[in-house]
Amino acid sequence: MKTQRDTFWDEIYELAKKDRDIIVISADMGAPALDKFRRDLPSQYINTGIAEQNSILVGAGLAKEGKKVFVYAIASFLTLNCIEKIRVQCSMMKIPLNIVGVGAGFSYPDSGPTHHLIEDISIMRALPFIDIYSVSDSNVAKSVAQSYKKFKHSTYIRLERQDFGNLYNSPPSLTSGFQRIIEGKNKLIISTGALVPQISQLLKNNQLSHGLLDVLTIPFNLNDFKELISQYKELIVIEEHFTTGGLGSLLLEVLNELQIQTPIKRFGLSPQHGYCYSYGGREEIHKYYKLNLEKILN
Amino acid sequence: MNNTKLQEKCLQLRKKVLEICLKAKTGHLTSSLSCVEILVSLYYGNILNFDSQEPDSPNRDRLILSKAQASPLLYAILADLGFYDKEELNLFAQKDGIFGVHLQNTVPGVETTAGALGHGLGLGAGIALKAKMDRDLWMTYVILGDGELYEGSIWESMKFASHHNLNNLVGIIDRNYLCTTDFTENIVELEPLEDKILSFGWNCITVDGHDVNNITENFERLKSRPSRKPTMLICNTVKGKGVPSMCYDPLNHGIAPRENQTDQAKKDLGL
Repeated sequence: MKTQRDTFWDEIYELAKKDRDIIVISADMGAPALDKFRRDLPSQYINTGIAEQNSILVGAGLAKEGKKVFVYAIASFLTLNCIEKIRVQCSMMKIPLNIVGVGAGFSYPDSGPTHHLIEDISIMRALPFIDIYSVSDSNVAKSVAQSYKKFKHSTYIRLERQDFGNLYNSPPSLTSGFQRIIEGKNKLIISTGALVPQISQLLKNNQLSHGLLDVLTIPFNLNDFKELISQYKELIVIEEHFTTGGLGSLLLEVLNELQIQTPIKRFGLSPQHGYCYSYGGREEIHKYYKLNLEKILN
Repeated sequence: MNNTKLQEKCLQLRKKVLEICLKAKTGHLTSSLSCVEILVSLYYGNILNFDSQEPDSPNRDRLILSKAQASPLLYAILADLGFYDKEELNLFAQKDGIFGVHLQNTVPGVETTAGALGHGLGLGAGIALKAKMDRDLWMTYVILGDGELYEGSIWESMKFASHHNLNNLVGIIDRNYLCTTDFTENIVELEPLEDKILSFGWNCITVDGHDVNNITENFERLKSRPSRKPTMLICNTVKGKGVPSMCYDPLNHGIAPRENQTDQAKKDLGL
């Protein structure tokens, strides 16, 4: 199975072959698909070295002058190290930049907490005029790359590094900003990124009848969301993210805004546990944060 | 403009900046006064290509005032050159005004929103790189404060611009030796600054930042791109130049003259 990042960059490669204004800036971050890009399109590929702030600034300069720029690095550094640069260039000046980070959640399970990305939704959604694309499988990665011409302003594209199989048979529509994977009844599980294929598998394995919603963009269409959740009695949010400010927090805000009383339960990473130095795979990290998917679903 | 006219323009703008800051009771007066000759050279010395009636003209040279605290000066120049009505200056940093203490790109003639330091050089490098990619002939100028050089991102961008041979990029350091609370060499030494910049692969020229003629000559030469590498012009300046009563005192950073400084400041400039 092709990874999210290779799928994404393969699509951008095809688009860039026909459009020399597409520029990829990498803060010395690779991907097999990018090897092809830099070999065949060297004038459209820039490596800034491990200098994420400069990669954002140079990208913003190019984008200000009309280039279509994708800046790429490990997501935790590209967001958290550069937040104030992004704030001024993308949110204040509205320079359209595509910030592509790999390593959502515990994508780098053996690399320790510097590489865990469990604050980015909270932080990036605080900035106006930046749309978040949270990618749950390779087909979604393809959809995001294919729709880049429709982007209204800057984007933050968060990619998973590991492979959990494909949720979708073909690139899904991003119009509503979410997709229902399983209709189910009574309870609707809401998640994003790589947890969605994992939850989907667990629901099937345990023959559970809950619905499952994959949040693909933040913000998403509120009217469509309101209509969709009206048939459920309870919402359960599960996220590989601190519970402060993440998807669960966002949904509390949304329910409040829509004046909907549907009960909601949030499961994520409690900030009281701080950062995790457990190794041996994603499940070990989940244990540290007491995030037991099977238990939650049952 | 000949040298005498340029000097007259410098004095005229110094007076205007003082007026603006006094009226608003805010604005970084001393930071503006230190870079008057630099900006006068660029705008009035036939260096920058600009069109006040078409501020976004694609062939304009790009000027990024990364030390955005000198905004009263840039706003005064743009008003003087007809980018907008001069009356706007009376509303600097006040209700219904179109601009405030730092820079915003919504003002005609202003390239970037700025105020957070350490952004301008990387942004300028990206802009200059675009010009190289598309063989555009316009130049990019970035004016940095010396206090801004403490930002690490400046040095990330310095390496990048040199590696990509951005000789269509000119950096200018307003080297007034003063930061917010103290002299730079007391805070964390910046010297030997020229050596540091040279070691990052740039050309570096140090000039008297109040010699408008000399600055202009250097800018003229750099327009012909005499070197493959980008050039940094270190302009040795005095923070508060023209108002001696406010010079050499770090605590005059970021303010309009206080009540007890106002009369002397006006007298210093003949206002």
